[in-house]
Amino acid sequence: MIAIYRKALSFVRRSYVLQMSYKFEFFLRLFFMFFNILTYYFVAKLIGTAGMKYLEPYGGDYFSFVLIGIAFSGYLMVSLRGFSESVRDEQMMGTLEAMLVTPTDASAIITLSTLWSFIFASFRVLLYLVIGVLLGVSLAGANVLAALIILVLTIVCFSSIGILSASFIMIFKRGDPINMLFMSTSELFGGVFFPISVLPAWLQTVSHLLPMTYSLNGMRHALLQGYTLRELTPEIGTLVLFSAILVPLSLLAFRYAVRKAKMEGTLVHY
Amino acid sequence: MHRYSGGGIIRETAIETCKLTKTFVVSRGITDLIRRRPSAGGITPVDGVDLLIRKGEVFGILGPNGAGKTTLIKILCTLILPTGGEARVNGFDVEKESGRVRESIGLVTTDERSFYWRLTGRQNLEFFASLHNFFSDDARYMVDELLGIVDLKYAADERFLNYSAGMKQKMAIARGLLNDPAVLFMDEPTRSLDPGAAQGLRDFIKKEIVEERGKTIFISTHNLAEAEELCDQVAIFDDGKIKVIGTPADLKASLGDGSKLSDVFLHHTGKRFEERGGAGVTAPGFRRDRRGLGRGGGFGRRRGGV
Repeated sequence: MIAIYRKALSFVRRSYVLQMSYKFEFFLRLFFMFFNILTYYFVAKLIGTAGMKYLEPYGGDYFSFVLIGIAFSGYLMVSLRGFSESVRDEQMMGTLEAMLVTPTDASAIITLSTLWSFIFASFRVLLYLVIGVLLGVSLAGANVLAALIILVLTIVCFSSIGILSASFIMIFKRGDPINMLFMSTSELFGGVFFPISVLPAWLQTVSHLLPMTYSLNGMRHALLQGYTLRELTPEIGTLVLFSAILVPLSLLAFRYAVRKAKMEGTLVHY
Repeated sequence: MHRYSGGGIIRETAIETCKLTKTFVVSRGITDLIRRRPSAGGITPVDGVDLLIRKGEVFGILGPNGAGKTTLIKILCTLILPTGGEARVNGFDVEKESGRVRESIGLVTTDERSFYWRLTGRQNLEFFASLHNFFSDDARYMVDELLGIVDLKYAADERFLNYSAGMKQKMAIARGLLNDPAVLFMDEPTRSLDPGAAQGLRDFIKKEIVEERGKTIFISTHNLAEAEELCDQVAIFDDGKIKVIGTPADLKASLGDGSKLSDVFLHHTGKRFEERGGAGVTAPGFRRDRRGLGRGGGFGRRRGGV
């Protein structure tokens, strides 16, 4: 257990040094984040109270709603891209083989390789929230503990989807259907930019199949309205259920993918 | 330290393979995967290989490009699964005990891309040390020692991208030694080096790794002089098969006085051996590594620092 923690630190240190060797890109990314938030701030101003009917369950303010949406949907993007990109990056850099010949397990290597992306995503979320507060979003009554529980479940759930996606990359190298499926559906049906109640009833069925819907719903209720853990049971319970199915499934898929790539001798092909 | 001299000393086995075979299936595409249609054919780069390599031995596998040398090394390093037969490294099965195998081996490749170019040499080695479960002071001490062994302490805190070809190869060796492995696999270690640097590396392997540390070395090479100079035993490998195994001297003697290793290769494979690099001389087909030489290259210390 201690070894994995120290390995994690070593991966984070490596990624940090690599990231900081491209300082300009790093600061550009941070800088342009502000523009993104400001865009939604003014869109919210334009909308005013027009969407009140749909936004009522989330406190009624569109800017607060969309801020939580874009901030936390970032975790899904990191999960979906992070795992498969770390497989692909290490393949392309040529470092994957050198890592796989060490006693560290392939799943650990891929998981730890994405740690930095999650840390960066968390930093971005924090920055989003700080800017949001400065622009008038109220988090005074937030239930931080509940938000943290939902955050952990969100990361576990989304990471499983990311590992499934990486399994496809391991075998097919490109054209991963998991990534495409979740990327294209989650923003539309997951309630990132608008409440799913806006959608026709039959399309809301699709929303209920996505972990993103429960994750954002729970997060908004916890941060904006201070819901208790008891009140958040439906969201937390569903995320636990998703995790219970997706975690073993993704690990099995990844193990199968590594074995298949080893069988075909394509472990380091890209 | 015992060096295997061809008889008299009975030692444990470092590597043992029995009818080891690898066939790569040539798939037709995604529809074959779905329909479970096996293949459009297959290639067999490792075909029923039997090997017995004792501890402390320097074993060379000599063959042309595409003979299957790298595939054989990758199977023994657990990076590729065999289709048939068995292989044990340090007593561990490469398929069933792959983790134990990886704990006891090191791999040195010629692929200079296998490092993080924007990290320093020291940062690279410390990162790979953590994958071998060495952390903090242990890792720092070991990395420092290895940098000393490969004579790269002076450039340890320079970015890897500034290293010459010879320095990169030294780094690959240092990384291969991180876990103090019982068996060190080297896949054409002098391939990208100029003749002088290649000779320097051979001297280093002989002195520092074989004589000082008594490691078992499994080295694949495309270079006859290298095989002759370094190896206790040499296997002529072609079309996935071992054609003959013996000491370089015995192999040459078997064809009569004045025979060369290239004659042995021709005799057993029916093919003329086209060498890429020689020991100290530029042989036909040799290509200079412009980046390495242009930056003051060679295997030794760079002039003017890095």
